[in-house]
Amino acid sequence: MMNPTSILLIKVLFVFILGTAALIIMQKSLASLFSLYSVQSLLMAVVSLVLFKETGSYVLLSLAILTVITKVVIIPYMLNKVRKDSGIHRDSEFRYLTPVSAILVGIALIFVSYSSFYRVFQLSQDNLFFLGAVIGVSLALLGMLVIISRKKIVTKAVGYLMMENGVLLFGLFIAELPFIIELFIIVDLVIFILLAAVLSMGIDSTEEDLTRKLNNLTKWFKQ
Amino acid sequence: MTTSLLEYFFINTFFVLLVSPLFMGLIKKVKAHMQGRRGPPLLQMYYQLLKLFKKETVVSLNSSFVTLIAPYINIIFMLAASLCVPLVFIPTANFGFGNVILFLYLMVMAKIFMAFGGLDAGSSFGGMGSSREMTISAIFEPVVIIVVSALAFVLKTFNIHEMFAATLVGPSLTNAALVLTGVALFIILITETSRVPVDNPETHLELTMVHEAMILESSGPNLALMELSHAIKNTLLMAMLINILIPWGLAVTLTPISWLIGMLAFLFKGIVLAVIMGVFESVTAKSRLFGLRTFFILAFSLAFVTIMFELLV
Amino acid sequence: MLLFAIGVGLCLLSALVTLCFVSRNNPQVRKAALWLTIAAGLIFIFQSVRIALTDQSLNYTFTQIAPQLQFTFLIDRLAAFFILIVSIVTVTVAIYSLRYVEVSTSGTRRNLFIPLMNIFILSMLFFVASANSFAQLLCWELMSLSSFILVMYHYEKEETRKTGIFYFIMTQMSTIFLMLGFILMYNATGSFAIAASPFLTAGTNTLIFIFLFCGFGIKAGIIPFHKWLPYAHSSSPSNISALMSGVMIKVAIYGMVRYVIFVLDPQLWWGILILIAGTISALLGVIYALKEHDIKRLLAYHSIENIGIILIGLGLYIIFDSYGLSDLAFLSLAASLFHTLNHAIFKSLLFLTAGSVVEETGTRDIEKMGGLVKTMPFTAALFLIGALSISALPPFNGFVSELMIFQAFFSAFSIPNPYVVILLIICLSLFALTSALAAACFVKAFGIIFLAMPRSEKAQHAHEVPRAMLIGPGILAFLCIGLGVFSFQIFGWLGFKPPMPNLLWVFLTLIIFLIPTLIVMRKTTGGKIRRSGTWSCGLPAPDSQTEYTASGFSEPILTFFKPIYKTDKILIRNFWDKYDSTFKNGQAEIKVMKIFEERIYMPIANCVRYLSQKVSGAQNVDLDTFILYSFITVIILVLAVGWIL
Repeated sequence: MMNPTSILLIKVLFVFILGTAALIIMQKSLASLFSLYSVQSLLMAVVSLVLFKETGSYVLLSLAILTVITKVVIIPYMLNKVRKDSGIHRDSEFRYLTPVSAILVGIALIFVSYSSFYRVFQLSQDNLFFLGAVIGVSLALLGMLVIISRKKIVTKAVGYLMMENGVLLFGLFIAELPFIIELFIIVDLVIFILLAAVLSMGIDSTEEDLTRKLNNLTKWFKQ
Repeated sequence: MTTSLLEYFFINTFFVLLVSPLFMGLIKKVKAHMQGRRGPPLLQMYYQLLKLFKKETVVSLNSSFVTLIAPYINIIFMLAASLCVPLVFIPTANFGFGNVILFLYLMVMAKIFMAFGGLDAGSSFGGMGSSREMTISAIFEPVVIIVVSALAFVLKTFNIHEMFAATLVGPSLTNAALVLTGVALFIILITETSRVPVDNPETHLELTMVHEAMILESSGPNLALMELSHAIKNTLLMAMLINILIPWGLAVTLTPISWLIGMLAFLFKGIVLAVIMGVFESVTAKSRLFGLRTFFILAFSLAFVTIMFELLV
Repeated sequence: MLLFAIGVGLCLLSALVTLCFVSRNNPQVRKAALWLTIAAGLIFIFQSVRIALTDQSLNYTFTQIAPQLQFTFLIDRLAAFFILIVSIVTVTVAIYSLRYVEVSTSGTRRNLFIPLMNIFILSMLFFVASANSFAQLLCWELMSLSSFILVMYHYEKEETRKTGIFYFIMTQMSTIFLMLGFILMYNATGSFAIAASPFLTAGTNTLIFIFLFCGFGIKAGIIPFHKWLPYAHSSSPSNISALMSGVMIKVAIYGMVRYVIFVLDPQLWWGILILIAGTISALLGVIYALKEHDIKRLLAYHSIENIGIILIGLGLYIIFDSYGLSDLAFLSLAASLFHTLNHAIFKSLLFLTAGSVVEETGTRDIEKMGGLVKTMPFTAALFLIGALSISALPPFNGFVSELMIFQAFFSAFSIPNPYVVILLIICLSLFALTSALAAACFVKAFGIIFLAMPRSEKAQHAHEVPRAMLIGPGILAFLCIGLGVFSFQIFGWLGFKPPMPNLLWVFLTLIIFLIPTLIVMRKTTGGKIRRSGTWSCGLPAPDSQTEYTASGFSEPILTFFKPIYKTDKILIRNFWDKYDSTFKNGQAEIKVMKIFEERIYMPIANCVRYLSQKVSGAQNVDLDTFILYSFITVIILVLAVGWIL
């Protein structure tokens, strides 16, 4: 059905997307984190462009352009501005996992998502869609791995954005468009709340600071 | 069949010896230009080798026969390994010479004798270089084996000669797994030839030396042999990467025209790869010894994910 | 058959000869006895090679005590192969012992050493050759007993006593497991013969397999049963370590191979279990070896690693066989068995040369050696060949077997089940890590022991060992090179054609490249070498303080694997005030936790001791309670008779 070169291109892009996800898991420098995130979003935009070239649906084209504008340009620009203003450049605190073991757990997660999809899907469907679904879910799981293994809230936010990327990828290959938009709205609500917490307490905060402040708040209530 | 093998023997060895110092000089030149200098001339390494052969051999009072035989072992094992990788011409039979594990372990033998030479003089630098080199080589070995097994799976053979023949016949750039394995092969190239970010081949500060520390005590013709074998290793690994991804120009017949085309094609592709290597070395910083863990695990995960995709999907 | 009997007779004769003159300290008698052993070994080699090449099995029934209990011998190609291993190591160790026996203590003890060694060798031989599991159990016990006495050779040292007792307990445990397995087999099939039987059901099969795996595994040194190996090998005399590590462990492997493949019906999960056990043993064995600075303990841990590699081959055989890929299965089994032979040869070589070094320097600690290559050049060259073989470098023999295992792994993709393939790939990467770490460890061992400058007085005054102690290992080194270079031809003689490179060509190519290099170097330097001192940063004379130490060498690797070496840090700080600002006193301690001993062995031992105390409490009572016990027993018997009839 599809052009072999575009299948090849999409497969290569998939592995590079996974490569950026692995780099985000182990990265300690905030600047690299943000640029990796923008590279990842760029790769997703290219994937949807290739799909647009195949299927000719203009929705995909607008999705690609929207992704490029928001996720590749605007969001990393804002994040970088905050980083330069606050002077915080590194996040080296890990929790539960070291960088090496985090990547190994990531590989195991990719395998887990593959094997669970293998049982659900019959491979009579197109190979590429199966691969896209697996990579999408893997990306979401890897984003969750970033959230639980880091302490600073800023990195958790990047992990969250990566989860959103994964959901987008999954939706591109499996679902139809209105469903995707609804998913997005729900997903973005949560990130607004998270960003509000970060803005109120400083980009350097960890979730221990957050719990401490909330504990103080409960003491105030108990009086 | 035997004439094909004999001709291959001579051509490959001769070409490798001729071309290796050129690539090393080219990489140095590219790095110098990126730093805004002019750098040494392209043929500098040839001049250096000739000069070293004229100098006298000085060995330490503490050293033994191991230091004396180490350069010989280095060069002959590296030349034997060069027979495993066809640079310009694939012979019709190879007596099992192209076995990829044989190729890897011949190079390891050369490395081990270099490590012995480092320990033999009784200096701290040599010991430190040997220790770090063996550590890096040990930690990196699983990555190499996984990448090689991915290649063996995709190309259905573990004989390098047959691998090159397979990519010559079938399309290679349109195979996603090969492209990704190419990235992993590039990382292997950087690590095994001791380049930034694993080791700095131009430093002479003890704290940052790995490979250079081991040959610190060599002099004269011994040092020439060690440097030459290092250059040959560089060329062989570049050839692995080039001839798997872009094998056009590899000759399969015995005519002089096809050899000439093969040599020119390899030279051209080698020059491009050397430029890429020089640029990569200039934009990367040398990482800590213990920070190499994450670097290697990235290469490992890339190769592993490639295998999983090709295998399972 | 007659030749075998002659060989056995020679061994027994050698034992008797020394026993006759046991109280007199006559070195000639000992030499004569050892020559008899050497002759016996040569006869065995000849016989086993003949059987292996011509594929004629030997059958012989010795005696028959009862209808089921007979001493039958069946020597087919597999048994002949292992007898070959035993006899090669025997011959070389005996040659080595011609002089090594003289260097230890009293005359009587030396005279007892030789008959015990002969009995040890004969018991291993009979174990491999017998066709009846009852006879095998007897030989196993004999082997354990004689090796225990040999391990306790230096019993005046307390360390030796403790390790001897530890070793004895572990071998008795392995005997218990073997007994359980054999009795179950007898129960199911009705005979003690070692042959496949249709009466073995699936459940019995599994149970027998587990018992035999544990029993043979304890003797072979698989993790977690391995703890006795480093202790026993380091405190016994070097030729006994060579015999134990080279041969006794292999005999356990023979048992496993024979039972799992010929008697029981192998399942897929057995193969996976053996593969995982092998990979863990290989990896942990080499990681623990990196930490060791006692030369014999280092070599013992490497034995554990190589047993792991042999088990990897065996596990691969079972996995491939259960999927019907018989070519690959055969390749893995051939690799595993060939590695058994190779390991016996190069491990004995390493232990014998290490024994020479330990004798000359008077210490087992490699941090006190150094510079021995100049005073003991031949020993150094032999150790170098052994070190290169164990690091699996071409063209030596260790490389060939590891190459075959790598090729078996690479072909793993033909298995239809993707989970098994992923497991195999993980095991492949761990196996690659193991072999690279082994190379690193032996660079350290050879470099620190032999190269650079001596680090202690005794190392400075070491001198070369007598000729007999060089010829024995020399034969083994020669075999290392020969088996490696001619591996393709050897497999051809045995009738197999494995897909591996012809190392003879590699060797010839190396020689071909050597000649012009030598010519060029000779022309340019004229053979002149100037010697001068090493730069030691301005110190007036370099001494051993400036050179690298063994701990320093292995430190980067140890740091990489820090989570595996569990070290306990105890920091207790006492302060004068409650704000922790003025320090009073404290205590800091770094303890290396021996996981297997403290967490696994000691709790089991304490449990057993508790239970046995309870039971002995019930036994040491007065007369009245004994009469009570008998009374209760009689009542139970009467009831039982009533119910059964």
